[in-house]
Amino acid sequence: MNFDKLFKAAALKGIEDIQVYYSEDNQFDIEVFKGELEKYTIADTQRLSVKGIYDSKMGTVTTEVITDDIIDFVIDSIIASAKTIDSEDEVFIYEGDKEYKEVKGLFNESIYKVEAKEKIATVIDLEKKVMAIDKRIRMVQAFYGEGSNSVLIKNSKGLNLEKKVNDALVGVYVIASDGKDQRTAFEYIRSNDYSDFDFEKIAKMGAKKAVALLGATACKSGEYEILLTKEASASLLSPHVSMFSAESVQKDVSLLKGKIGEAIGSEKVTIIDDPFMKKSTRSGAFDDEGVATSFKELVKDGVLTGFMHNLKTAKKDNVKSTGNGFMGRGISPTNLYIKPGTLTYDDAVKSMKKGIVIVELAGTHSGTDPISGNFSLQASGFLVENGKIVRPVALITVAGNYLDLLKDVTDVCDDLKFDFGYIGSPSVLVKSLMVSGL
Amino acid sequence: MLERQLIKKVLDKALTTNADFAEVFIEDKFQTDASLLSGKVEKVNNSKVFGIGIRVARGYNSVYGYTNSPKEEDLIKLANDLAQSFAGEPQGIKFELEEMKVGNLHPVKILPSEVSIDEKVDLLRRADVAARAYNKEINQVSVRYTDYVQNVWIANSEGTYVKDTRVRTRLSIGSIAANEETKQTGFNGPGGQHGFEFYSEIINVEEVAQEASRIAVEMLHADECPSGKMPVVIDNGFGGVIFHEACGHSLEATSVAKGASVFTGKKGELIANPLVTAIDDGTIPNAWGSATYDDEGNLQIRRVLIKDGILTSYMIDKLNAIRMNDKPTNSGRRESYRYAPTSRMTNTYIDNGDSTFEEIIKATKFGLYAKKMGGGSVNPATGDFNFAVSEGYMIRDGKIAEAVKGATLVGTGAEALLRVDMVGNNLLTAQGMCGSASGSIPTDVGQPTIRVSEITVGGRGGSI
Repeated sequence: MNFDKLFKAAALKGIEDIQVYYSEDNQFDIEVFKGELEKYTIADTQRLSVKGIYDSKMGTVTTEVITDDIIDFVIDSIIASAKTIDSEDEVFIYEGDKEYKEVKGLFNESIYKVEAKEKIATVIDLEKKVMAIDKRIRMVQAFYGEGSNSVLIKNSKGLNLEKKVNDALVGVYVIASDGKDQRTAFEYIRSNDYSDFDFEKIAKMGAKKAVALLGATACKSGEYEILLTKEASASLLSPHVSMFSAESVQKDVSLLKGKIGEAIGSEKVTIIDDPFMKKSTRSGAFDDEGVATSFKELVKDGVLTGFMHNLKTAKKDNVKSTGNGFMGRGISPTNLYIKPGTLTYDDAVKSMKKGIVIVELAGTHSGTDPISGNFSLQASGFLVENGKIVRPVALITVAGNYLDLLKDVTDVCDDLKFDFGYIGSPSVLVKSLMVSGL
Repeated sequence: MLERQLIKKVLDKALTTNADFAEVFIEDKFQTDASLLSGKVEKVNNSKVFGIGIRVARGYNSVYGYTNSPKEEDLIKLANDLAQSFAGEPQGIKFELEEMKVGNLHPVKILPSEVSIDEKVDLLRRADVAARAYNKEINQVSVRYTDYVQNVWIANSEGTYVKDTRVRTRLSIGSIAANEETKQTGFNGPGGQHGFEFYSEIINVEEVAQEASRIAVEMLHADECPSGKMPVVIDNGFGGVIFHEACGHSLEATSVAKGASVFTGKKGELIANPLVTAIDDGTIPNAWGSATYDDEGNLQIRRVLIKDGILTSYMIDKLNAIRMNDKPTNSGRRESYRYAPTSRMTNTYIDNGDSTFEEIIKATKFGLYAKKMGGGSVNPATGDFNFAVSEGYMIRDGKIAEAVKGATLVGTGAEALLRVDMVGNNLLTAQGMCGSASGSIPTDVGQPTIRVSEITVGGRGGSI
């Protein structure tokens, strides 16, 4: 589609300002099962989202058919959509920032220098590696996926921004069984630098995690000292990130409303949103609204310093957008994480008298409620007595409130890891949580 | 739309190496979404989805590719790229595409694409007003409206060539009740394979909206649920999510074929209390999870998964059938052209038993009554499940007692099925979106009121 032609046609029909967000994606995925290639997907897609101001309201439309033939459809949809909006929030198309930081390391050719055949062979070998580690490993699913995304943002106020990112993911899903009990584990590395993929390490960690949980049973109900592993902590942080969104605050569904400057966590807790992190597809100099992104410590040493904004919420609060306006996700972080400390994971375990290391929390999308902060979640992990892991535990639930938990953080480890949604955390020591088991 | 000759050419190209199966899936979908918050319409968006997925297989091994481009050269190139995965001599497969035509089994009266945006937005306002009017403790209401017309064409190297049109619409209401101390949410989201007549002939918009507010207000005044093992009475309708998550997923070929499911190799065995009969039925007229064809171009059917406690059928797609040496059950589904199909549920429910709701409550001395369930998840390898209870009450001395909030049900699917000890006669279904390997698809869950003799209940109200 010729965007200039679209802009001209839109102006003729009374659309005051207009912006296109054009995205191209390439995807390649493989999955191996029992030595055979089980899944192999290649894809090449485009999507166009257009927003325009008509009679002071913002209309939007999305399409995967992107030809000059549908210019009329795009314009008519924007007008019809704008006409029904009655939100009185002031809307505008952004003319752009004076400066955009140059963010390096977001697109790396190295993943394309390895041929598909070699990647397949490597993943088949990865499955074998895991199987060979322990005879209790019953099944492994090994996978590799890579994707690239290019974005173009262009508007009638002269903004014209482009970016290109890519990354790849290698991992294993492992099922271990001792004949009676069956346990699963998941291990992966994500990067856009092929040399970061340590296949030995993925195999070893995946196998170790699955086998370690075999024979897990519930433990007695009660209050326990808790060590959330990096994965468990990130999975619990993830559904609560909306608390830091100015939209949640303005809609009065954030527990953090009115708490800027107050301590909302222990002084060990610092939460960062970093759009300049290398090797992440979430990074970039601008958000999907074309606003320059910024590095933020949302929580510094336990004190809430601010919220994430997009253009709309920033206007309402009379502040500058923090560059967190993203397509389809509203206000969303870029790479958000709890800042790691210096304690090692092993020392954290050693420091516990009577506690539980939680390695996995299930159902974090349904067992949490970011509006009240209350959670009640199925967990599995290890019982610790006097600094030593005694046995695996499963089928227990842990319950608490996320803000109470942040206040009860006694230390954070040095092992930061990000989940699939680029939410990250190191392992975190918590004073106590209520555990329901036997 | 793509000409039949072009589809044939693409399929032929895909078979120029040693592959024995090729399939083309074309999707043309038009969707409208609208949302309202705090009494104001916030967003209205039309979207056009168009794409083509090509699948090439040998035995049960398959490769998949997709693109938005309907151009011949792009499609032939994609077919050719995919074919390279199966090096070797062509198998010489000959076929003709004959279009199979059956009437649409889920006819709609008013195509949503022919209804003005104003009329759709009016539903948002009506729901909002009703939900607010329910009670002064309701301080926030959000309403979402979605409809779409999805046209798909499915053709394969076995000569299958079908067109299917799926028209769906849904209205979801989220109410928040608040007082000085806390906030609680209530949700209700009915939908169906209907046109716009859904809102005048099938549901009452105001009642549906007030139900969301009722739950929120009820939970605002609830105590924290105590924790421990206890009998749990799970009510009809969305309560069926427990079966969907804890058992349904483990009966899908996706996990069964690889031996990753606890129910692998258990066909013919007793896996549930004999009171339990469970069905997955893709043919229920105009139901949310129904379709005329599955996404592999086969007519949808009704599957009896469990009959009187005995496992009678899995849900199997074409390729997993080869792996399992079993017959397909026409269970291949996918969100869109961006996903290869795999075995999925349609409308899945526990069938009616003999007990009345009153009998079940009366027979329970102490336990939890889970009137409304929230979401949940399950690990198909272990069967471990967890569900949030969105509206719960304690049962004391055979009577429904105080409301409780924050309850979670935890257990394993295999155990829970065996522990179902009462099954009601009030079957009801409810709508959900199910996310799995082939994307997010509409499914109905359902059941009559059932009792599970013992489940671990998690909550913050201390041990029982």
